[in-house]
Amino acid sequence: MAKKYAMIHDNNLCIGCQACSIACRAENKIPNEVYRIQVWIQGPNQHADGSLNYDFHRQSCVHCENPPCVKVCPTKASYINQDGIVLIDKKKCVGCLYCVEACPYKARYVDPVTQAPDKCTFCYESRLSRGEQPACVTVCPTDALIFGDLNNPSDKISQVISRKITYQQKEHLGTRPKMFIVPNTQGGKIR
Amino acid sequence: MNGHGSSLSKHWSRRKFLKMTSGTALTAGMMNVPGLLRADDIKSKYSGNVTMTPSVCEMCTSACPIEARVQDGKGEFIRGNPLDKGRGGKVCARGGAGFNQLYDPQRLVRPIIRVGERGEGKWREVSWDEAYTFIAQKLEDIKQKYSAQSVAFTCRSGWTKNWFHHLAQAYGSNNLFGHEATCPLAYEMAGVDVFGSVPSRDYSKSKYIINMGHNILEGIVISYARQYLEAISNGAKVVCLEPRLSITAAKASEWHKIKPGQDLAFVLGFMNTLIFENLYDKDFVEKYCEGFEELKASVSAYTPEAMAKDCDIDAETIKRLAREFAKAAPKAIFDYGHRCGYTLQELELRRAMMMINALVGNIEKDGGMYLNKSASLYNSIIGEPKAPTLKKPASPPYPKPAFPRIDKIGEEGCEYYLAGKGAGIGTLVAPSALGELPDQPYKIRGWFIARNNPVMTQINTQKVIDAMKAMELVVVVDIQISDTAWFADVVLPDTTYLERDEEFTAGGGKNPTYSVGRQKVVEPVGESKPCWLIAKELGEKMGLGAYFPYKDIEDYRMQQVGDNIELIVDLKKKGQTSFGVPLMMREKNSVRAFVEKYPTAKDKVNSEGLMDLPKKIRLFSKGLEEVSKTGGLVYKPDTIKADDELYYINGKIAVRTNGHNGNNEWLNHLIGDAHIWIHPHTAEKMKLKNGDKIEIYNRYSTQRGKVLVTQGVREDTLFSYFGFGTISKALKRACGKGVNSNFLMPPQLGQNTGMGLNVVGVKVRKV
Repeated sequence: MAKKYAMIHDNNLCIGCQACSIACRAENKIPNEVYRIQVWIQGPNQHADGSLNYDFHRQSCVHCENPPCVKVCPTKASYINQDGIVLIDKKKCVGCLYCVEACPYKARYVDPVTQAPDKCTFCYESRLSRGEQPACVTVCPTDALIFGDLNNPSDKISQVISRKITYQQKEHLGTRPKMFIVPNTQGGKIR
Repeated sequence: MNGHGSSLSKHWSRRKFLKMTSGTALTAGMMNVPGLLRADDIKSKYSGNVTMTPSVCEMCTSACPIEARVQDGKGEFIRGNPLDKGRGGKVCARGGAGFNQLYDPQRLVRPIIRVGERGEGKWREVSWDEAYTFIAQKLEDIKQKYSAQSVAFTCRSGWTKNWFHHLAQAYGSNNLFGHEATCPLAYEMAGVDVFGSVPSRDYSKSKYIINMGHNILEGIVISYARQYLEAISNGAKVVCLEPRLSITAAKASEWHKIKPGQDLAFVLGFMNTLIFENLYDKDFVEKYCEGFEELKASVSAYTPEAMAKDCDIDAETIKRLAREFAKAAPKAIFDYGHRCGYTLQELELRRAMMMINALVGNIEKDGGMYLNKSASLYNSIIGEPKAPTLKKPASPPYPKPAFPRIDKIGEEGCEYYLAGKGAGIGTLVAPSALGELPDQPYKIRGWFIARNNPVMTQINTQKVIDAMKAMELVVVVDIQISDTAWFADVVLPDTTYLERDEEFTAGGGKNPTYSVGRQKVVEPVGESKPCWLIAKELGEKMGLGAYFPYKDIEDYRMQQVGDNIELIVDLKKKGQTSFGVPLMMREKNSVRAFVEKYPTAKDKVNSEGLMDLPKKIRLFSKGLEEVSKTGGLVYKPDTIKADDELYYINGKIAVRTNGHNGNNEWLNHLIGDAHIWIHPHTAEKMKLKNGDKIEIYNRYSTQRGKVLVTQGVREDTLFSYFGFGTISKALKRACGKGVNSNFLMPPQLGQNTGMGLNVVGVKVRKV
């Protein structure tokens, strides 16, 4: 059965340490000028109860089920593979960069070496094919990232999604991202 | 388990065996834990020649176990050692950047000697032999002209310190220092004074944690960070008191914006409440503590009402927190912190924090604190020498120095007597060199610095530079031309941790632990050499070869473990191992399991089914009473800033380690500059907005930076991250960016600790 790979980013557990960003850079040999993933520490934001808190925004591809980048690609270089991962076939890419423009999550960049668009692949080519978890998940010091197959009900990710409240970025666009976010409910109440 | 010496034939057969088991040993698979994903499962899926080697990280000094992957001779990827439970196989951003450090073109890989003035940045490349000859000659000159003691040796903790402090003492110097006086020294001294050693914190099972600026989630120790979030996820209440909202404070239940440098006032008000509202654990105090009545008398005046104004936490809050804490005890931790330097009364502060834990009886209880069980303590509880100990290869006795150390540690009545001899009061090196210490029979004339960066990490930076310029010899061992190396005569290139084998190490948590130290993952780049080899070769050049009675590091390791082949195999294959079962001496289930495993420990079990603590906890210090009349706790109000100044403080960030890796390409890319945090109200008054360039200044220095307007800091306080404002022009990415906070710090050193302050008053002007 085909897989439906997805990820959870738990804002309560994330500490913005950037271990994910560096591990991705090492494993996928990302040129220094660009990145596939960063965690942006936002805030402090004041919550309704008066507490101050930082939010942790994972800036990377969210692997939409209905991806605008795939729709706009004139050569089918951007595609969703059988396991639900959005990938780029560089041989088919003509460099029009429509996909970079179309992505509502600003997740794509132009690789300064290949001049083709690139982005997070859930480490499809570098690690999943070897049976390993994505690099970011492997190193995350506080287990804020969970990766797995939504088609498998006994997978940890399915269990956590059924237990915890999650949301997806820009749900109103109908892109159906497979990046699920556990919102931050903690926060140092100022006294 | 340990044999005594070995015959030559045995030696050689073991040697061959060692070679067989090192490095790529994981492929053999014979010692793997059954059922787990094995390295060879993954390895078979890689193309080319792949090795995965368990070792230990050195991007900071937490020494997390790692596994490094090398493909066709090139280092590729680092993760945490998956066999390590405490850190879950995880690694932080710094740890992940290890190979980037190794292959950095701005790294130093050949010895250099200065040709211009100190700090001018003019060097020539020399051979190792020329460098050794130069250093040996200069050291001999200083010894003849003054004394060997005139050379101070300051080294990074652990491995580096072992090698060069040994060389120092063989040479005849007793002036041995570490980084301690710029970081943890006061809490280490407090731990020794109160408990006999520094206890560990059992965060994960705790229900109530009070944290005063211990930035666990940005000054990351992975095991702490995981335990801390586990506690919070399980509903623990965490109360953070610090002047700026760190990520640690943002994860807490309450954040109290305490006044910078006034933590002691809060802690004493808190302790006063515990004692005078009878919230402390009387049975525990009676049974295991001494000096309670003296402590009580010493803190009787420090009521929450009396302390509230100084710390800016109201009396009701102090009392509420003390009551909540006592109610949650023993599953409650009053965190004694990490980086010290909040107040000139730092020892009082850290002792008070330690004592609060004893007062609520959380010692050796789940969710409280516990004594570290090294092999010797563990064996003394078992009653038999079961847990292996590591031996130090024998070497001749050191020559006896003629004079005391500059910090007088080891002498009668020394105010710093609680500091270890390997830690010392390193902040005294510069004052000694400049002739500022009272009645000293000699000055420091030479400085040998290994993997330490005093120009960045010691307070009063200009004085440190002036002292170096006044010296006759400055030698630095480092992987790069650090701010300190910038002012050296000779810089020797250390290998990075991924290029060297190191000696085995032993420690202890709830039970004894052992580590491989470091294993060589790839061959050294350029001509860099590991510290054990530099110490040995330089020692030989100085005529001190007898002090280094081992051929190489493998030989040294074998002398450490004796005949304990099992331990060698375990360490090389798994990177680490532990002995026995965890023991919490005051938890019934733990004691029962321990005695089941070690029946000889039966006589240590008391009538309650628990074990008594091995020594009394000191709530009054006879030693401190003798040297400084501070046996109880004494509070002296301190004015840190003038009325028209703002406080300036600094703290850690997760992608840079203090004075070490700000120039790392990947990490620097994540944050190259550090902004100065300023509260919106203060910014408005000063007409400052985000990105404005400002100068912050006081009588010690002027530093430049850019404004970040944020509610995450007190109105009367400025904050920036530590480890910025690099001076060395050889560190091109980091040089000149951000505030070097130590330039601004005052020169005063704390009583009994010799530690400087991390808080000072400054003024601001727009550039």
